[in-house]
Amino acid sequence: MQKFKTLKVGEEGHLSDLKRGQRCVVLNFHNDNNALRRRLLDMGITKGVIIEIKKIAPLGDPIDISLRGYELCLRKEDMYGIDIRVVE
Amino acid sequence: MIVGLYGNQNSGKTTLFNELTGSNQKVGNWPGVTIEKKEGRIKGSDIEIVDLPGIYSLSPYTLEEEVSRKFLFEEKVDVILNIIDSTSIERSLYLSTQLLETGIDTVIALNMVDILESHGINIDIDKLSDALGVTIIKISAKNGTNIDNLISTIKEGNYKKNSNLKIYPNDVEKLINEISSSFNESIDNKRFASVKIIEHDRAFQILNNEILESRSQDIEKKYDMDGEQLIASLRYQFIESILKDSVKRTKRENTITDKLDKILLNKYLAIPIFIVIMGLVYLLTVGVVGRYTVDLIDSLFNGSSSIKGLGPLLEELILNAGGSPISASLVSRGIIAGVGAVCNFIPQIIVLFTLLAILETSGYMSRISFFLDRVFHKFGLSGKSLVPFIVGSGCSVPAIMSCRTIEDKDERHLSILLTPFIPCNAKLPIIVLFSSFFFGSSSWLVSFSLYLIAFLIILLSGYILKKLFYKGHESTFVAELPEYKLPSFKYVFKDVYDKTLAFIKRAGTIIFIFSVIIWFLSSFTWRFEYVDGENILIENSILASIGNAFSWFFYFILGGNNSWAASVSAIQGLVAKEQVISSMSVIAKVSDNEAIFNSQIFSFFTPITAYAYMVFNIFSAPCIGAISTMRKEFGNYKDMFKAVLFQTLLAWVLGSLIGLVQLLISI
Repeated sequence: MQKFKTLKVGEEGHLSDLKRGQRCVVLNFHNDNNALRRRLLDMGITKGVIIEIKKIAPLGDPIDISLRGYELCLRKEDMYGIDIRVVE
Repeated sequence: MIVGLYGNQNSGKTTLFNELTGSNQKVGNWPGVTIEKKEGRIKGSDIEIVDLPGIYSLSPYTLEEEVSRKFLFEEKVDVILNIIDSTSIERSLYLSTQLLETGIDTVIALNMVDILESHGINIDIDKLSDALGVTIIKISAKNGTNIDNLISTIKEGNYKKNSNLKIYPNDVEKLINEISSSFNESIDNKRFASVKIIEHDRAFQILNNEILESRSQDIEKKYDMDGEQLIASLRYQFIESILKDSVKRTKRENTITDKLDKILLNKYLAIPIFIVIMGLVYLLTVGVVGRYTVDLIDSLFNGSSSIKGLGPLLEELILNAGGSPISASLVSRGIIAGVGAVCNFIPQIIVLFTLLAILETSGYMSRISFFLDRVFHKFGLSGKSLVPFIVGSGCSVPAIMSCRTIEDKDERHLSILLTPFIPCNAKLPIIVLFSSFFFGSSSWLVSFSLYLIAFLIILLSGYILKKLFYKGHESTFVAELPEYKLPSFKYVFKDVYDKTLAFIKRAGTIIFIFSVIIWFLSSFTWRFEYVDGENILIENSILASIGNAFSWFFYFILGGNNSWAASVSAIQGLVAKEQVISSMSVIAKVSDNEAIFNSQIFSFFTPITAYAYMVFNIFSAPCIGAISTMRKEFGNYKDMFKAVLFQTLLAWVLGSLIGLVQLLISI
């Protein structure tokens, strides 16, 4: 996993780079775990969807995100495979 | 008629199933897999309804989804009842679009409409129903609202027929038509199969061919997505477009859940709060309730200074009626002592399960698995391992089965292996009995420490086993964080009732039978002489000689004591863990008609050896029921034997180390 960095509005990166309260739009996927990829698609993480970082677990991982009117928890390492652009 | 009940996890599916069927249920397993299958009959009708596993999609990656998919096609489902959590309608409809593709008539039950308003959501049912071409009925499974309406709609066939809804753009629909027309007549659910071919679903590749493949590739190129991604995106696009017209949302800021999470998931407070809450649970269970109830119930069975007690009463009755002292002893010192020893703990079990059920339904349990995932993941487990660990405080058998929800095979394997370390309700009597006798007012602290040790041992074993055997693999964690809600009384009551009943049933069957066996073995010698306590002592009994053969194994654990009675009792933990206490109780009664620790035979126990003995009983091989469940879930005997060996060895080492302290002090 890459080192932690702060992304500003308009910048691109991985979903795992975001801080609490930031919103982003999903651009693409890159991971070779088919089951996980499908699972994320099924849960609504498709190209163009808006995701907000809602809550971060006390130990920094996993992370609770909000999309499509509901909330979902993911591990940081699984979020790394999702490319995004910050919108807010 | 067969109705299949489909829905996401946490959509209220099980609650609705209970509402629809009442007590008319049959619980079994899906063929070949250990996923629970529930069937029932809808109240006031002869309609069969089957509760399918909670799923988000009909993809081919998990067992639950495969079972749900197969059932649709192989069992000829007449109607799909699709339950939807209206507060997460967008994601829920994703499954609906897949169900509709099967061509089977579908009725949507829009659940949790009672809390829509407080969520700032307004759903126009008629518009939504028109857009989907499906009958939608608002219900609240929890409050039982509108269930009758739902039943009569299904019964009278008063719902819209499947209209083969087109949800994709024209070019994709064209491709779907092209693929379906290439199938021969015998293929059912052509539209569903066609979409699966575009998705490259492995189960449908047999229907694929080169021409179709190249046409699919054209579409993939055009949209710049692979088939799986394309179909998922298009489904969600369709849902977005229909919800735009039928659903209004007012944005909610800072809900109660968010506020609570600010504290309960706080960086610094979360773990202290968690420890305090679990500490309170055991303080209430073992400390407060334990002290008052155990003695009371014990005196009802075995008598005390103020109450005669059932055992002595029956003994007197039998002797007065001319019965032999042997039969009086069988009843009072065998059956009543054995079964009673276990029944003493019913109040605690009720309290513990009530508290755990409240934690679970309130939504706090999901938070625990959310923040513990980071820790568990490091130790080769998943945050979801928390579920079997919590269920395991009830019984290891369903707990081991609940490991199924853990996606990763290695994490699942480890969870199965480590779940029996959690003190189950049958181990609770051992813990309560020993700690309240030897540690008095701080007994709750001692019990709590045992749960903490169990937890630490689980993490430590997980870490070591992961390093040794499960190197280098990927695992995932995808879960939902539900909103906090007030616990449902109905749910808590049913949960506690079922678990307590199971405990009582065991006391009436297994424990009953073994109490008789233990009474017999401790009341007679190999030459069939009756142990009367004067001419023939219990040390000559059959049971004593069996125990003596094993007592070397427990030498260190018992602080340098050779005790046949404690040894033979511990071994009976294989039958059922509470049998340990039951056996000790029978032996104490037969030997000098005393309660366990007032009896000469167990007088050697000290606080330290009591602790060592508890530790051994908690960590050693679980009961036969749990062992056979482990075998089923591992899928082979080899892993089961390895697991049992590991558990028992670990228990022996831990117990012996603690017992050694006593041995050193005595010297």
